[in-house]
Amino acid sequence: MSLATFRGGVHPYDGKELTKDKAITRLMPKGELVFPVSQHIGAPATPVVKKGDAVLMGQIIAEAGGFVSSNIISSVSGTVKAVEPRLTPSGAKVNSIIIENDGQYTPVEGLGTKRDYKNMTKEEIIDAVKAAGIVGLGGAGFPTHVKLMPKDPSKIDYIIVNGAECEPYLTSDYRVMMETPERLVEGLKIMLSLFDNAKGVIAIENNKPEAIEKLTELVKDEEKIEVCPLKTKYPQGGERNMVYAVTGRRLNSRLLPADLGCIVDNVDTVVAIQMAVSETTPLMRRIVTVTGSAVNEPSNFEVKIGSSFAEVIEAAGGLKEGTKKVIAGGPMMGMALSSVDVPMVKTSSAVTAFLVDDVEVCKESPCIRCGRCVDACPSHLMPLMLMDAAEACDDEKFVALNGMECYECGSCAFVCPAHRPLTQGFKQMRQLVAAKRRKK
Amino acid sequence: MNFNLSSSPHVRNAKSTRSIMWDVNLALLPATAFGVYRFGIHALLILLISIATAVLCEFCYQKITHKEVLISDGSAVLTGLLLGLNMPPSVPLWIPVLGSAFAIIFVKQFFGGLGKNFMNPALGGRCFLLISFTSIMSTFTVDGVAGSTPLAKLAAGETTDLLDMFLGYTGGVIGEVSVLAILCGAVYLLVKKIISWYIPVCYLVTFALFMFLFGGFNPQFVLAHLLGGGLMLGAWFMATDYVTSPVSKKGKVIFGILLGILTGVFRLYGATAEGVSYAIIFSNLLVPLIERISMPKAFGLEKVKKEKPVKAAEEVKEEKAEKANDAPKAPVSLKTYHAALNLTVIALVLGGLLGTVYQLTKGPIEYAKQQEELAAYKEVSPDAKTFDEATDLVAAINDEYANGGISAGAFGNVKLDSAYIAKGSSKETIGYVVNVTTSDGFGGDISLSIGVDANGSITGIAFLTINETAGLGMNAKNESFYSQYIGKNVDLFTVTKSGSSSDSEIDALSGATITSKAVTNAVNAALYIADKAE
Repeated sequence: MSLATFRGGVHPYDGKELTKDKAITRLMPKGELVFPVSQHIGAPATPVVKKGDAVLMGQIIAEAGGFVSSNIISSVSGTVKAVEPRLTPSGAKVNSIIIENDGQYTPVEGLGTKRDYKNMTKEEIIDAVKAAGIVGLGGAGFPTHVKLMPKDPSKIDYIIVNGAECEPYLTSDYRVMMETPERLVEGLKIMLSLFDNAKGVIAIENNKPEAIEKLTELVKDEEKIEVCPLKTKYPQGGERNMVYAVTGRRLNSRLLPADLGCIVDNVDTVVAIQMAVSETTPLMRRIVTVTGSAVNEPSNFEVKIGSSFAEVIEAAGGLKEGTKKVIAGGPMMGMALSSVDVPMVKTSSAVTAFLVDDVEVCKESPCIRCGRCVDACPSHLMPLMLMDAAEACDDEKFVALNGMECYECGSCAFVCPAHRPLTQGFKQMRQLVAAKRRKK
Repeated sequence: MNFNLSSSPHVRNAKSTRSIMWDVNLALLPATAFGVYRFGIHALLILLISIATAVLCEFCYQKITHKEVLISDGSAVLTGLLLGLNMPPSVPLWIPVLGSAFAIIFVKQFFGGLGKNFMNPALGGRCFLLISFTSIMSTFTVDGVAGSTPLAKLAAGETTDLLDMFLGYTGGVIGEVSVLAILCGAVYLLVKKIISWYIPVCYLVTFALFMFLFGGFNPQFVLAHLLGGGLMLGAWFMATDYVTSPVSKKGKVIFGILLGILTGVFRLYGATAEGVSYAIIFSNLLVPLIERISMPKAFGLEKVKKEKPVKAAEEVKEEKAEKANDAPKAPVSLKTYHAALNLTVIALVLGGLLGTVYQLTKGPIEYAKQQEELAAYKEVSPDAKTFDEATDLVAAINDEYANGGISAGAFGNVKLDSAYIAKGSSKETIGYVVNVTTSDGFGGDISLSIGVDANGSITGIAFLTINETAGLGMNAKNESFYSQYIGKNVDLFTVTKSGSSSDSEIDALSGATITSKAVTNAVNAALYIADKAE
């Protein structure tokens, strides 16, 4: 049987053996923690604490600033040191709440209370998710409660748990599936309880056979849940490719998965839903892979959100001499960091560090029209033509060539034998076009 | 610490332009090695000079124009090698110099260098040479003997040995002869995923179908055409050139089909036996057009139209507003298949036109040729007013020939091409014009037209084809040599090196005894044939 997949994509070296078998260890932060008010797609949250306030672990310190927004929760107890702009992994300075950790982890009242989702109404469940400040932990950071409130819930027929983890080097989702599969399945059942017509699909790339086996075994008596193995190929975990592989439905830049009856959430997000609903525990931690050729002891950690990258890297044995590049996220879509003194945010799925920077080593040369980018593009675009438009800064041509359908997966730039910075060019053009549209 | 900052992705594939180019060079090695093995050291020299010139031209151009020198990327080497492989094995060494310089400077660099050229530089160079130095570029010698290529034989209605063609024991340009060696390289390229099968397979299949349909439903003929000439080298190594072929799969399929049709048309109806080079460079020019019509549809936008009716009116309205913003414009929505059909029709019409022009010009060309020949006959039989074809005589001699007559060795390897009865003003027979070809020359075939009068005296000799060594055998064309035969009435001429002492003795050309003997034997054959006629 041929495995579910999509057309296009690439096969970068996956580097997962570095951390694949490293169990998740819990990291306790020291000193101050930084909580930017914008760690998600949508409006920034509004701080509800001020300098000098005492906060408890699990307390909301910033409230959602709109419908598409999210609460920010303190992951420790302590004192608010300041509310000021701080550098974030994205490279921008964002208004942040800085909390001095008292090391007591005094919980807010009711934290950890067990609940049975079966006794809760749909509204209660969604409110619990909303209050917990859960956003897509796969990287995009779309507020999860918004996903759970589509216009017509009866039209949702698929809830897809994205366990592809196609990004090279990352194993955090894999470890979650291996170590807490029960939480994952319960989280999915909670989501299914919101949508009467939906079935749950846990989609996993077939380079993780143990996870597939484990979850298949676990859901064998669940009528509405199945495990769907996917072909291992980057970017299999991209939302559009995932929905296509599982359902055959085709998303584009103007459609949300819900428009086609699908809700897609990352493995860790589903676990966060389970914790929020069943254990009254808001989003205060996430699983992070620290890996790459420049990391002394590649590891998987459960990290308190707000901890600094430096601390997490230190916990992994620190960086080797001659580290060239540190990336927040994986090598395909992550952001290069200028400084490791930035906080772990909700979407910080990994830290990868390399001794050799391919981008520096590979010199750019003229396009030879080999067509590899065309074959690789999961959105079936013509990257080489888009690049002509990008180089000429011709946004009309860029849009006419459907450049806005690009979601910056990086496959074209990875595969280009002339090493042209294709994805970079498209990012800039997409920002330009988006900015122009906002102006209108 | 200072870390590198750059936009994602942060990893790169190991394959680079340079590694790809060198892989293609490597894939050409079997064909190159076989060519050198088959045609010898001169072929190797041609290849080396071709490559060296290409690299040097690229280097100088980039230096002079203050561009980055990129000769190590292997693309100039590839152009030089491909061009060299497209040369007959006996061309003088200035030919590859000229060709490579033209390919690199005019076809590649003037249009912006690597990636910007609109036609394959090696083929551009080859076609430039073919047009400028037609005879040099279409003379194929093997082991010092000029022979015709399998395609020329096919065009002349002869048959060819398919196994020899597959292995490479035929005439042709250096790199095209061995299909086996070319396929070895092609497999390497396919395995290393440097080329995809779309272009070559569509090309070969279309071509085979075309030849089957329009070449008389003859599988043997189709097979010979598939194995012969530059088709395999072209299909696997030149049509697949990245820069000058479409990038999308659909585009590659269209491109391959177009190539197949054009090559078929050129080979079947064109004036030359070969057509691959012209088919490829012509199709290169159409690539931008093919690109337009073969643009892949963006994922998720394919079914926008279909879904509209099911949507609520409001949503449609919204969508329209959005569409106004970033409408997927014309190139994407063009009907590909319709366009492909158009292209096919255009190709067929063009092919038809070409055939028609050939048919129309065939008559006049032949008339001109006849006039030319007539002039030659007048030269060798000056008293004649008209010439009648001596069909009976030719048939009789050919009969004899078939039974081992004049071919038995009396006159060496002499063949009767045609014979004419020379008539005087009152239609009386005053002599004969005999056209013979001897293959005993030093440089291949020598064709002569020999006039004999009714008494058996030679009235004149004209050379129709002669490729002897300049300064030696070529001197046979000098009057001082051939006048030795004229006016003499003997039964048999002989060649002497010690000074002629009788009418029947001919002084050999100095340093060209073989040529002298071949010509003398041809004259003797003509005397014999003329004698038969009386």
